[in-house]
Amino acid sequence: MTVKIERGQIVTVERGKRTARRLPGMGLLDGMAVVWKHWAGSFRKNQGFNDIHGVFTYEYPEERPKLPEAYRNMPILLYDDETSHELCTSCFQCERICPPQVIHMTQAKDPATGKPVPAVAEFVIEYDACMSCGFCAEVCPFDAIKMDHEFELSTADHQKLTVFKEQLNRPISYYERIAPTMWAEVRDGAMKKLQGNIKRRPDVIGMAPNLAEKIAARRRELEAAAAAATAPAAPAAAPAEGRKLTPEEKAAKLAAIKAANAAKKAGDTVEPPVAPAGAAPADEKAARLAAIRAKNAARKGEAPDAPPVVAGEPAGEAPPADEKAARLAAIRAKNAARKAAEGSDGAPVEANVAATEPAAAPPAAGAATSAAEAATAPADEKAARLAAIRAKNAARKAAGGGSDAAAPTTTGNVDSGGPGASDDAALS
Amino acid sequence: MATVIQIIFGLIAALIVGAAVMVVTVRNVIHAALWLIACFFGVGALYLLLEAEFLAVVQVLVYVGAISILILFAIMLTRQVTGEGVRQLVGGWRLWLTAAISALLFAVAIVPTVISHSWNVPAPPAPPGTPEPLAGVAELGRAFVYEFLLQFQVAGVLLTVALIGAIVIAFEERARRRRVLTLAEEHELRKRLAHPPPVEAPAGEPAPAPRATPISEGEVQQ
Amino acid sequence: MYDIVNGLINTTFGWNWPGWVIALISHLLVTTLLFAIAPFQMLFLTYYERRAIARMQDRIGPNRVGPAGLLQPIADGVKMFTKEDIVPAAADRWVHFLAPCVVVAPTMLMFAVLPWGPGMVPVDLNVGLLFFFAISSISAVGLLMAGLASSNKFALLGAMRAVAQMVSYEIPAVLSLLAVVMLTGTLSIVQLIEAQAGLFISSADVPGVPDLGLGWFIFTPVGLLAFIVFFIAALAEGERTPFDIPEADSEIVAGYMTEYSGMKFGLFYLAQYVLNFLLCAIAAVIFFGGWQGPGVGWLYDRAISPANPDGNWVFNLLAGFLGVFYLLAKTYAFFFVMVWLRGAFPRLRVDQLMDFGWKFLIPLTLVNIVSAAIWVALLRWGPEQGITFTQNWTPILRWGVAFAVTLAVNIVAYIALARIFAASQAEQGRIDLDEYRDTLTATLR
Repeated sequence: MTVKIERGQIVTVERGKRTARRLPGMGLLDGMAVVWKHWAGSFRKNQGFNDIHGVFTYEYPEERPKLPEAYRNMPILLYDDETSHELCTSCFQCERICPPQVIHMTQAKDPATGKPVPAVAEFVIEYDACMSCGFCAEVCPFDAIKMDHEFELSTADHQKLTVFKEQLNRPISYYERIAPTMWAEVRDGAMKKLQGNIKRRPDVIGMAPNLAEKIAARRRELEAAAAAATAPAAPAAAPAEGRKLTPEEKAAKLAAIKAANAAKKAGDTVEPPVAPAGAAPADEKAARLAAIRAKNAARKGEAPDAPPVVAGEPAGEAPPADEKAARLAAIRAKNAARKAAEGSDGAPVEANVAATEPAAAPPAAGAATSAAEAATAPADEKAARLAAIRAKNAARKAAGGGSDAAAPTTTGNVDSGGPGASDDAALS
Repeated sequence: MATVIQIIFGLIAALIVGAAVMVVTVRNVIHAALWLIACFFGVGALYLLLEAEFLAVVQVLVYVGAISILILFAIMLTRQVTGEGVRQLVGGWRLWLTAAISALLFAVAIVPTVISHSWNVPAPPAPPGTPEPLAGVAELGRAFVYEFLLQFQVAGVLLTVALIGAIVIAFEERARRRRVLTLAEEHELRKRLAHPPPVEAPAGEPAPAPRATPISEGEVQQ
Repeated sequence: MYDIVNGLINTTFGWNWPGWVIALISHLLVTTLLFAIAPFQMLFLTYYERRAIARMQDRIGPNRVGPAGLLQPIADGVKMFTKEDIVPAAADRWVHFLAPCVVVAPTMLMFAVLPWGPGMVPVDLNVGLLFFFAISSISAVGLLMAGLASSNKFALLGAMRAVAQMVSYEIPAVLSLLAVVMLTGTLSIVQLIEAQAGLFISSADVPGVPDLGLGWFIFTPVGLLAFIVFFIAALAEGERTPFDIPEADSEIVAGYMTEYSGMKFGLFYLAQYVLNFLLCAIAAVIFFGGWQGPGVGWLYDRAISPANPDGNWVFNLLAGFLGVFYLLAKTYAFFFVMVWLRGAFPRLRVDQLMDFGWKFLIPLTLVNIVSAAIWVALLRWGPEQGITFTQNWTPILRWGVAFAVTLAVNIVAYIALARIFAASQAEQGRIDLDEYRDTLTATLR
């Protein structure tokens, strides 16, 4: 019975019949009897939560409770046991929904074409800030990210709690073991999607990087196939090695920053006079473009074709807002590289600055190339990668015209506007 | 053996005298009380040395265990315990006069005793069969119920009456006070206001004083 | 111990040392032994309590350090030793330092009169029982010192509560023991134990009762009531749970121990558990026969003792082991009851504690003393004391009549006093409610 009064509510509990005339002090003995029952019953273990007399304790390190399937601790990534392909397509859904924003990823690119591939190049989760909400697992359309049951994560090394893809990867069989019914519910759909994605993944992209021998086997397989099929030009695939070393990544980042500085200076000088659109191609720009194209060509294994022809093409000019933003956040690698990219397409800008500061150009060119070089690397420095990819894209676009420059589909914030935009710019 | 006892006696006596001096010289009242306890303890030890175990134990029980606690409690209720910056009641020549009067009074008590006492006389050999004088509990008890029966009875009755009086006081109604009731008590009160129990008025007891503001059920319901 | 040392030095080696040297040596030996035993008792009791209370709360308790967690208290002790000793800046340094010593020393002294087995008592004082309680009252001074010197309000409150509680509950404790003292006519703890030989009926009361060491005072109505009162008072003295007001951690942090850390805190802790052990042991000694139990008397009759100098020392050992076993078993059983109570009951309020002590326990002990007097009059006294009507009764009839009369007196007194107490408390609550009635009416209006 609950009684409400002004200050709150009172729950009165009926304590059963009161035996009226008892020896005083018997109530105390009743209380002691209850405790005694618990004491006497505590020598056996409770089987369920309906037992009230008995020990509930799990003696933890030796004796582990069976965790319920839906138990969730930290997110993991799944890969298929047979094909060793990861389920993740880097759709960025988890990154977007993550409340503490601890998920970061970069999309894999086809090194040959530069097109994005439905696979993830690098995937980082900061376990130290993760709140185990499980949104990422819920939102994942490919059932690639799931919540693990492992909870003994304590470490003396804080850095270890920033977890990369290699440590995040678990085979599907593992997840199937800890959550059989939950996996059974989604298995068919997930595998179907995975098969579809594998078809769109060239080379060994999308294979779990921790399965080195499987990757090697697959690569040998591909090489054999390629050798059997076509030309001797195939060995040029060598530079597309799966992994880059950190010094190179560092160099890429540094170069990108340098490029940004150069571009910023360019922007500063450019702003007062309205840039004459469609100005003559500067020679150092041409040189840079040539370098990029040479690089690309070297990667592609195809001959460089006519750099100066397309050099003068006025690709999408930079809107003023972007210029300003770039000036404000000049030091950040992402913007920096973007600026570099713009500089490479925005011929008039670079042309003007070239007259005043010829020295700025070579570094910029070097930046663009080295950034492009870094493009294939599964580096964890996402910004550098993105910038490099864009630089490469822009360069390629500038080189090959707008025809084959398929703008990145999923990364929406690319500002080099594709063929339409460049056409518009040309008209204006 | 006798030397050992002499040494122990000297130590205990030094403790007693030193503690007593500290009692009257330290400024902090708490420290004074603690030195007093040390002094009591020394006296108890002295009793033990004299093989009066019962007296020693009683000394500890009564003085150390009870009276000193009383003193400390009283000190706790005082405001200033450190004695820093406290003006002495008397000073200058008045202080010396007070000291002289105190010493004189003490001398009046102690000097005749000291003079009339004959020192270092061995105890006369007791006739065989006489018990040790008032040493053990049994002898003490015997003395109480034979020799000092009246005094013992009076003291005993006094203490028992004091004990019973304490119980009676404990049973008396506590001082009226206002406090915020717990929710359960408020609920209980409302229940009782809504359903007043039948008023019982035993013949022997005076009826309870009528309430200043009698409340009807209607008021409570509001 | 004196005999053994004497025999070893003067008889075996023939060195003819004077008596006082031998007495000194034997006392030092016993003291060392006890000072080694006491901390281990404390360590064991903390472990024991934690395990038992855990079981009562459907847990397991410490079971990691050592086999079944037996080394847990050692680990705790190591932790305690390595902690920093912090003295508050505003504290009274010397008093703050001395307080733990003053608390610990009396509890150690109390071991002096505790008999462990037949003929195994450090000092057989003829006022042993009084000594026990006189010394225990000294620790109140230490508590007060701790509270006053810490210059912390919680510590002061805790100390005041502790001392008020100890002083008030000493009265029922001593009065309840007084009844037992009246039954036996002695204050010596050794003689108290010897008076508890027999089988249900003490062989001191009725001659001819087989001696199985079971003539405990708990089997007499006077002893039963005295035991109940004494045990409750012991809980209050030892600051055990229904009465752990002085260190009520939900109210005043840790009471007088608030400002202590490291080993000084450890000393308080030690004193508390040693005191609990001693209170349990003394309850076992006075009401449950101490080392008395089946077999001990028989064994000790054949052992070397002042009464029987040419016995066999093997029996000394056996009787000693059995006696110590019985005593410790009873003591730990009582400690279990203490833990049990801790598991069962919530803490009392200060006024409830005082009401209970003064309104219920003390009157009960006074009645119990009267019934002890009746018991003694019916059983012991004859025509020379003025009691003539029991002259021709057989001892067993005397015992039966005394048992019935004292039982009736005690039960009636118990029920009546409980009623009065309950009525008084209810009245107290009623007054509180009436007090509030006006306020409530005013707010409602």
